[in-house]
Amino acid sequence: MTTLITGADGYLGRRIVAALRGEDLILAVRCADQAELDRKRALLARVTDAPVVPADLRDDDPFAHVDPRSVTRIVHAAAVIRFDVSRDTADRVNASGTARVREFARRCDRLDRLMLLSTLYSAGRRRGEVHETRHDDAGFVNHYEWSKWAAEECLLDAPGLPVTVVRLPTLIAEDGGGEVGQYNAFHHTMRLYHSGLLTLLPGDPATPLSLATAEFTVAGVTALLTAPPGIYQLCPGPVTLGTAIDTAFAVFEQDPGFRRRMLPRPIPCDRASFHDMAQAARRLRGGPLQPALASVAPFAEQLYLPKHFRTDRLRAAWPGYQAQDATAVVEAACADLIERSFHVTAH
Amino acid sequence: MRARPAATSMGSMDGLYIGSFAHALGARKRHLRESAEAGLLRSAPEDLEAAGFRWHHICEPDGSAYDLARSAVAEIAARGELTDIDAIVYATCLPDGGTRTGPVRDVKELMDFPAGRLQAEFGLSRAIVVGLHQQACTGVLGALRVAGALLTTEPGWRRVLCVTADRFPDGAWYEQAYNLISDGAAACVVGREPDVCRLLTVHQITNGGLGRAGDDETVGTYFAYTHRLVREAAARVGLAPAELDWVVTQNTNDKAWQILARLLGVDHARVWAPTLPDVGHVISADPVVNLSALLDSGRARPGQRIALPMAGFGLNWQCAVLEVVGR
Repeated sequence: MTTLITGADGYLGRRIVAALRGEDLILAVRCADQAELDRKRALLARVTDAPVVPADLRDDDPFAHVDPRSVTRIVHAAAVIRFDVSRDTADRVNASGTARVREFARRCDRLDRLMLLSTLYSAGRRRGEVHETRHDDAGFVNHYEWSKWAAEECLLDAPGLPVTVVRLPTLIAEDGGGEVGQYNAFHHTMRLYHSGLLTLLPGDPATPLSLATAEFTVAGVTALLTAPPGIYQLCPGPVTLGTAIDTAFAVFEQDPGFRRRMLPRPIPCDRASFHDMAQAARRLRGGPLQPALASVAPFAEQLYLPKHFRTDRLRAAWPGYQAQDATAVVEAACADLIERSFHVTAH
Repeated sequence: MRARPAATSMGSMDGLYIGSFAHALGARKRHLRESAEAGLLRSAPEDLEAAGFRWHHICEPDGSAYDLARSAVAEIAARGELTDIDAIVYATCLPDGGTRTGPVRDVKELMDFPAGRLQAEFGLSRAIVVGLHQQACTGVLGALRVAGALLTTEPGWRRVLCVTADRFPDGAWYEQAYNLISDGAAACVVGREPDVCRLLTVHQITNGGLGRAGDDETVGTYFAYTHRLVREAAARVGLAPAELDWVVTQNTNDKAWQILARLLGVDHARVWAPTLPDVGHVISADPVVNLSALLDSGRARPGQRIALPMAGFGLNWQCAVLEVVGR
């Protein structure tokens, strides 16, 4: 059994590689040239001695270096995951790139599983209960969401392929200890609040957030590799937006430097107000607010669209499933951010 | 335990009135694009235009902040309203006027007494003087508050002249916290006799922890603090923000009050800053300029309540609440 992992050098890809260490793996990475490929090979060699092959999902035949006869499982982890990704890039990498993975999968005669790592937010603009089923197009808040939905559809439309779609939560820490290994919109937002650059809170404080650790997510992904094909929502147990903010500020306020600055907790604002503020911020020259907001604003609208993700299929398929205390994860992650003065080095 | 910035207010200011509003602006009116070409701005001119700014006023090279203050007070004197002044409260952001150069041997050179000069120049011989320079762009409201306090503790006093004046030094950027700046001054009188408005309260919040806040932090904290400021100021006079008849603001990015009006439940049509394109942000004087415009327009009716919220470096936030009397 040989597993091809795309995006094997990415944040989650590397952790999945580590979890599957000892199995037959082929690691596909995107690289601009031989030097970058060498660097990524060296990076991954710390985890496994599996072969590392170059694969750019924008190429016509990205898996030209992989023999399809040897592949029995594919974990498609490669994606552009920025909320402010352009439509064109989201299409070329996430949607059309997944179509190329599908075409390669068709050539794998012994394929047992094609797993797409998607996002809970492929649900787009819908609100309320979200089931572990295919979504119709309910509209999307940003191109990233749209592209992940399109990627799901691309695979779920393909007859005969053993497809598993795993919709992932937002990863904010490595594990319950709270170590932050990669910045995303959550961390950018916390940095804005901690630095006093933002005092408005986009969204309804009652909106549930799905925030998780990499440890939980990788455990779920690897467990689902042996579960029946289908759609799973890897949701660890929600925390409301208001509780997450209160928890973060309770941590910040233990920091003497923060206390001295007496920064106020943010006030909830309506969608139009946050939109106006983000638009106006685009005109603020060169400061830190504009780029930080650029990563937050494309996601902010989701915070007005409360969703409750059902996990019935996940719980049935993953005997080891244990809901996480998301409030505790937020607390630990924020404490880690404070300890590092918000300087996070990807590792 | 969370630290909170000091928040105090005067509460009721029974029997105090405010009127005799006057202002003066730098003599040279320039379009912001001209100032951008002269290197006086930090933002791109199109960004400032998108915020609503167009023109601003700069002093001639030999013009001073004191000259601006004198012009504003002279206007009051010319109307015959500079009478019975018991005190002068003078607020400025730049107490040395930004004119000092070179080494100093005699520290008297560092001292400046613009309020005393006004006293002498206008013959206000019985007036004592008070200076405020820790409240940045909110200083004019601090002057009102001090005036109210003086009249409360000195039963024999009748009228206090409040003045604010600032002029940026030559070569300085005419932009602060993304606002286009004008040199200017404003003056008014707080007294016991019925006047244009009753002075109901002045409320202040200071967060010295943000005393060295940069432009982005100043903008970032603006919304939460101004929201709190207006709510608390309105509450001091028994009102909800939505019950305010007018909110007369500083001349700042016009998006800011579109947002705050929604957050406060205030009808944006009641937010008044008509001089934004012509005048810009006159340090501490633009709310007086805008208030004068409102009163001159005839749209403010007797009994209506007007809030004047202001934000300034330091960081300071102040809000006065007035009630229109009409005379």
